[in-house]
This record gives sequence, structure tokens and C-alpha cells, in this order.
Amino acid sequence: MARQIICFCIVVVLFLPGCISSDQSSMVDDSDSSIELVVWHSFAAESKEQATFESRIEVFMASNPGVEVKISAIPYPEADQQFMIAAQGGEAPDIVRLSSDQLGKIGDIRVGGQPLLEDLRTHLTPIDRAKFDPRALNAMRYDGDLLGIPASQDCLSLLYNPLLFDAAGVDYPNENWTLDDMLLASLSLTSGDVNGLALPVKNAYWWFGFQSGFGGSLFDQNGTPTLDSNGSADAMDWLLDLELEHGVVETGTQTESMKTQFLSSKAAMIVDGPWNWATYEAGRIPVQQSILPIVSDTEERVAPLVTYKGWSVSKQSLNKEWSTKLALFLSSSEVQKEFAIETYTMPTHVDLYADPDISENVVISGFLNQLMEGTPAPTTRAMAMVYDPLVTAFENVYAGEMTSSEALLLADQALESDLEGLE
Amino acid sequence: MKRVFVITILSFLFLLPIGHASEIIGIEADGDVGYRQVGLIWTTDSPTEEGTLFEIWVSNASIVDTANATKHSEVRVGNVSGIIQPDIGEWYDDCLFDSGEGDWTPVHRDLDGTAVVSVGAIGVNCTLTGLPSGIEIYLAVKSTTPNGESFLSSSISSSSTMSDEEIIVIETSPYVFAIGSIALSVLILLFVLRWMDYRDGRTTSRFAHLYIAPAILALSVLTFYPVLYGIWLSFTNADQSHLGDQSFIGIDNFITVISTSGFFRVTGFTLIWSVVNVAAHIGFGLLLAMALNSDDLKGKTAYRTALLLPWAIPSYISVLVWRGLYEPAGALNDFLGTNLNLLADANGARIVVILVNIWLGIPFMMMSISGALQALPKDMYEAAEVDGINKFSRFRYLTLPNLKSALVPLSLLGFIWTFNMFNVIYLMTDGGPNLDFDGPGSTDILITYVYDVAFRDGAYGVAAAWSVVIFVMLVVFSWTYMKKTNATEAVT
Repeated sequence: MARQIICFCIVVVLFLPGCISSDQSSMVDDSDSSIELVVWHSFAAESKEQATFESRIEVFMASNPGVEVKISAIPYPEADQQFMIAAQGGEAPDIVRLSSDQLGKIGDIRVGGQPLLEDLRTHLTPIDRAKFDPRALNAMRYDGDLLGIPASQDCLSLLYNPLLFDAAGVDYPNENWTLDDMLLASLSLTSGDVNGLALPVKNAYWWFGFQSGFGGSLFDQNGTPTLDSNGSADAMDWLLDLELEHGVVETGTQTESMKTQFLSSKAAMIVDGPWNWATYEAGRIPVQQSILPIVSDTEERVAPLVTYKGWSVSKQSLNKEWSTKLALFLSSSEVQKEFAIETYTMPTHVDLYADPDISENVVISGFLNQLMEGTPAPTTRAMAMVYDPLVTAFENVYAGEMTSSEALLLADQALESDLEGLE
Repeated sequence: MKRVFVITILSFLFLLPIGHASEIIGIEADGDVGYRQVGLIWTTDSPTEEGTLFEIWVSNASIVDTANATKHSEVRVGNVSGIIQPDIGEWYDDCLFDSGEGDWTPVHRDLDGTAVVSVGAIGVNCTLTGLPSGIEIYLAVKSTTPNGESFLSSSISSSSTMSDEEIIVIETSPYVFAIGSIALSVLILLFVLRWMDYRDGRTTSRFAHLYIAPAILALSVLTFYPVLYGIWLSFTNADQSHLGDQSFIGIDNFITVISTSGFFRVTGFTLIWSVVNVAAHIGFGLLLAMALNSDDLKGKTAYRTALLLPWAIPSYISVLVWRGLYEPAGALNDFLGTNLNLLADANGARIVVILVNIWLGIPFMMMSISGALQALPKDMYEAAEVDGINKFSRFRYLTLPNLKSALVPLSLLGFIWTFNMFNVIYLMTDGGPNLDFDGPGSTDILITYVYDVAFRDGAYGVAAAWSVVIFVMLVVFSWTYMKKTNATEAVT
């Protein structure tokens, strides 16, 4: 009899969970009880950004006593992937920090027929929206939905070490510089173990700006890939030649090694973003910034890709109103200003463009000038998929297996084929 | 005089509309338009004139003036030529206006996104966003004429009645049900076996089946179920864009696998990678184990400890150190005085990843073989020495045959581990350099390519098909290897 009871209990235990509905219906916010929000950020560990972010979260909790915010750090390059995996398991955080190109990867993803991110259009009033740079706000839209509130923007610019320029007797970069001037200066500055320039020549993100300057573009107005233009090929050749032909860029320079070179005064110039400025300052490099040069042939300026980072609310959040409130707070003028001054994070709040503390700051205003010359990255699935074929194209040209025109033609075909596969 | 009077009256009537601000005569709200949204319609007593500004104000109490309210949005009356006019659903929120002809058309948007309606509009219908859900609010519209005259409409209360939409994540009941069914089937099977054994008198222990039940259950749920689920997934169109909605598609995924450009290349390199690594692990491991087993060697403990270090250090750290050494600015070029970029060259990168994995795998083989060597009877060697057998012949005819029972399973395990070794290639080259569009990289092996297919492309069904192919390859290899070598049978 006892055995039968045990068997019955085992059967019940095994079957019961399967019979219980896993219905996780979302509720309206219960303002009477304590609310817990989980936020995933992607600021570097122990960085100024992280410290500033954490202090702002404390301020938010202090002004909203019923709300507890739990924060977790995730690596920035994997933020979209980690969020997707968590969401597929029903464990997504309420708020996550994502970039506009990451939104392009997530936008189409569905779990149980539902998107992963909340369309914030219904949560923001027109007055809320009007506070943000329209380009930034538009970059957070995917297929019409507003998937994030823009909190920062960034792009590449030209940084240089004036001490190495002085030592070589070369004039500092200026806004009238052409790429030819830049190359001549790099050649003059390259001597011994010092290289004139540091940038990862095979990295597509660095190439985008030059591609635009040479007259190429990633997509046409219909979103069809246009990688195989003459301008694109010229830009690729020009970049790769910096290392392969002119030797002004150290062999095999990658994003990490270029930083090391500049920090150790082994590179006179670097094409880099504002995110590393504080690191160079901490390394006692008297770093200066100048806008990227003009391409002589086209008379177009190198226009780096502008990407935006912002706060997105999970579709699975049970407290969307509070989540949106926190996302708006983290993107507010006050918080953006603090980030800008403390960490050189470029703001997206239109009021801050005219704020004296911002406009009179040489670094921030310099990067804002560069941003105005940049090209906003389209927030599309195609943009998220453009990197893979370009990596292969760069590898082939670098290895001498193909010409840039051949490689970009194949990259264009591969991307179009991938996009057709999605349909 | 009469003519002057008529002209004066006509002039007055003609000019009256210019100075007359359109007053809001009707205002209605609808709380059912969507989550955190309220629909608001207002109409004016006359066609609106250019420069009129409508401001929508919100408050949690009736609005008598705007001092106690918050501005929600603005609608401007002006020239709309050359201004964009997004369709319904295209803009952040929707707003329509009635130009007086009875049709509602979408408003235009100026550069800062403000809604603009054409001159003469007599009604506006906006969906107000960003309002609290389920809380009563009051709305009013203030109109201001170009000459500064303002009129505040009556206040109207409403509430966004629609709650947040219901979100169902993945329906997990089928999976729990499947696991429960498997577990129950295993239990029933054990009961049946127990009964059959009892009936046939094959066991003396009443609890024998109970003892093995936990292990069988754990294997069923943790091993057999995931394998079976993976096999099922390989016949579906599961991908990250619609996980949970997958459907059966037959062998399409397997066709995709076979037709992938580079399928034979990546399979070939996986075989080369596995065979070279295992051969080197066994060869160097045996050599070092014999050296450490020599009676003449002094300081064996120190050597053994030093040789174990690659195994003791977490592999991701040692792999990253190796990568740093091979980079153009790394120690190898410093030492050789060269400017090699081995990791950017397909063959160079292949050689490098194999070398690093050989370095990582030797200690385990060395220790395993060393243990087996120590278990060999010493009198056998003494007899051979007395018989004048030279060292090589002793190794060839005594050591190797006696080690077979250890070497065969070790090499089989080594092959399976190396075949599925992920971290070395992922950390050293990430499969690159990538010279093949839409195919595996030069140093990709099957398992690293499956990772790309699953987590970069998000094609779970195709990745599952690749995994099934790997599984079949390893089962066929293991089975053949066991049969050919008589596996664990000791030499007689």
C-alpha cells in the first residue's frame, strides 16, 4: 500500500507542473506595493560611467521610495545577445541599455509571437519627445516602433598627441586637412617605434566614415545594399594601404592594440571615439581632437557612422510605466549633462547643445561638431547584418586574395542573399 | 450717407473674422483607444486662422486655468506646403484634422515634430500618448490667436482604461509534460522489469531496480531528453525570430548543412585538427610519461609539476596569452625580429591553433599514461633485460601492447574531446580569418561553426542539424574504432 502511495505521489509531482498553466499575464502597475525594477547596463566595470550611473540610480530611488532598482552589468558587445537569450527564457530585465545598431538585431525577434522590446511611442508625450535630438530619437526606431530613449551618441574622430607633432615639427591637424595632408603628416611622424597613425584598418566600423567621404554608401534609399561602388572600393584601398603600402599604421593593429599604442606614445594620431578620452587623459597623454579630414577627390568630409545608445524597456516588464519613468530619468537633461561632463559622453538632449557647460567644453563641443558631420547609422536588420560580409571582404583584400572591387561585389551579393533569406 | 453706412456695415462684417479667435465649442475624450492613451477631439466654432496655436493640457484635477496643469502637446495652424504628412501609424502618435470638408486627414509635422494643421481646419482628433493608465485625468485645450488672445476650453475627464497587453513568454507546459512523461515511462519500465525479473527468478535483491532508478532517471532527463529534443529541433524551422512557433520542415535543414559552402572544408579541417592533436597528445604524452617513469631521472616531482602547469592554468587564460604572443606586436615577433602576422594568414592560423591545443592537451595524456605505465609489472622488463632485449624492442613488444587497454580509450576520449574543443579556436581566432563569404572561417571546426550558426545567425534549427551531423560522425567513428581495436580488452 505504501509503495502505491509513493508511486501516486511521484506521478502527481511529475505531472502537476505540466498541468499548471504557465500563463504570465502582465498586470497594471500596483502603486500600493513596493516595485522592483531590474536594469542591465553595459558600462565598463569600475569606470566613471558606471559610478555616475550608480549614483543616478541612487537619486532615483531616493526620490521614489516605493521603487527598488537592481542593477546588473553586461558586456556591451554582447548586450543584445544576452538580452535575447534572457527574454527567450522569460527572464528579461525591465530595462536594458542598447545601441541603435543592436536594436536593428533585436527588432524582428519574436518569442511566442511577441517582440522583445516595448514600443515606447505610447509611453511618451510629444513634450517628452521634443526634448531629444530628432536624429537620435529616429535612430531608436525600428520598423516604426520606438524601441529606446536615446541617452547618448557617439562617433569616431581624429585624436592626436601634440607632443609627438612638436617633436617631429609637423603642424597640428585642422579642419581644412585633407586625407593627403593626413597621410603626409603620418609619414613624417612615422619614425623608429612611433607610427603616424593608429586605427584598425580591417574594421568595417572605421571604414564606414571613409567610405562616405569617398562617395560610397552602405544602402540606397530603399535599403538595398550598395557596398560595391567605386567610392567604397577606393576607401577600402586607402585604409588598407595605410598599413600594407605606406606602413604608417602598425601591422595587425586592432581596437585594443591601437589604444595601447596611443597610450604609450607609439602613435601620433588615432581615429577613436570619445569613450576612450578619459583613459588617455588618465594615461597623461595631452590628447587633442580635430575633425576628420576631407577627401580631396570628392571634396566630401570623412563622415563617421553615428550610433546612439539608449534605454529600452522589455516587453516582458510587469512595470512598464515605472520602467519608462526610469528610462526617461536616465535620459534626462540633468543625467545626460552629468555624464557629458564627467565622462565625455555626448548628449542627445537638444537643450544641452546650447548649454554653456557643454558648448564651452572643448572636448565635448569638438565631438559634437564631429557628430554633426557624421552619418546616423540606419536602425535596420540589414545594418546589423552588414558586418559579416564586410569582415570577409576585408580579410580577402588584406590577404591579397581579391581586389577591393571584387571583394565588395561579393560582400554585396552575400548581404543581399542574406536579406532575401530573411524574407 | 446711406451708402457710407452700408459700406461701414459691410466692412465690419468682412473684417470681423480676422479679429475673431476660433473658440472651441466641442471637446470629447475616449479612454478606450489604447494602453496609456486617450483620444481627444475638439471642434471650433469657425475655421481656424493661420498662426493659431492649440495647447493640450493635462491635470489630475479639473482645469480652470493652466497653472495647475501640465502641457501635453501642441497643434499649430499654418501653411502646410512642403511639410511632411506622415500616414496613420507612421509617426510617434496619430493626429487628424477636419479641414471643413468633412474628411479627417493626418496632420503635417514640422521640423521639431509639432503637429501642423492647414488654415481653416474646424476640428482636430489626436491620440494623446504617455498618459497614466487606469487613473482619471482632466484634459483641456487652450487656443491662442496670433494676436495673443487665449481661450481655454472646458475641462473634460477621462481615463485610459486599457491595461497593458498580456504577455505570454514561451509556453513551457509541453516541455514539462514531455520530461514528466519520459520520467514516468522510465519508472513504469523499471517496475515492469522488476516484475519480470521477480517472475522469472532472475534477481535475489528486491530493491535492485530501485537502486538504479535515480541514475536512469537523471540520464533520461539530463541526457536523453536534450539529445532527442535537439534531434527534433533539427527538423523544424526554429530560429530566433520566432522561437516557440517552429514547425516541422522535414530534412530542409540537413540539405542546408550539406549545401553550405565550405561544408567539406570545415569537416576536413575538423578531422585534421582532431587527428593531429590526438596523435601529438598521445605521442608527446607517452614520451614524457616514459621519461618521467625512468628510474635514472632525478627531480621527477618538479618535472611533473612543471609539465602539469598548462593543464592547471585555466585554459582561457593560457589561450589568450598564446594569442598575445602570436600577434604582430607580440613576443614571437620581438624574439625573432620579424613582422609576422600569423593569425591573419589562413594556414598560419591553422598551424597556430593546432600548436596551442597540442600544448594544452599533453599534460592530461602524460598523467594518464604515466599511471598506466606504473601499473605494468617490473619483472616482465627484468626478464626481458636478462634475455638481452634492447630498449626499443622492450618498448615495441612489451610496453605498447600492455598499454593498449589504456591508450585505446584515452585516444577515443581524446578524439571526441578534441573534435568538440570549442574554446581554443573561439579565443584564438574566432574561426578566422574569414575568407569565405557565407561559409565557415579558415580555422573554424564544426563545433565553432555551429556556435556561429546558432548564436550569431540565430538559426537554431540549422544549428541543431549541424549538431546531429556531428553526433552521427562521432557515433560512427567511436563504434568503428571500438570494433577495430577491441577497445578495452587487455592484451593476452
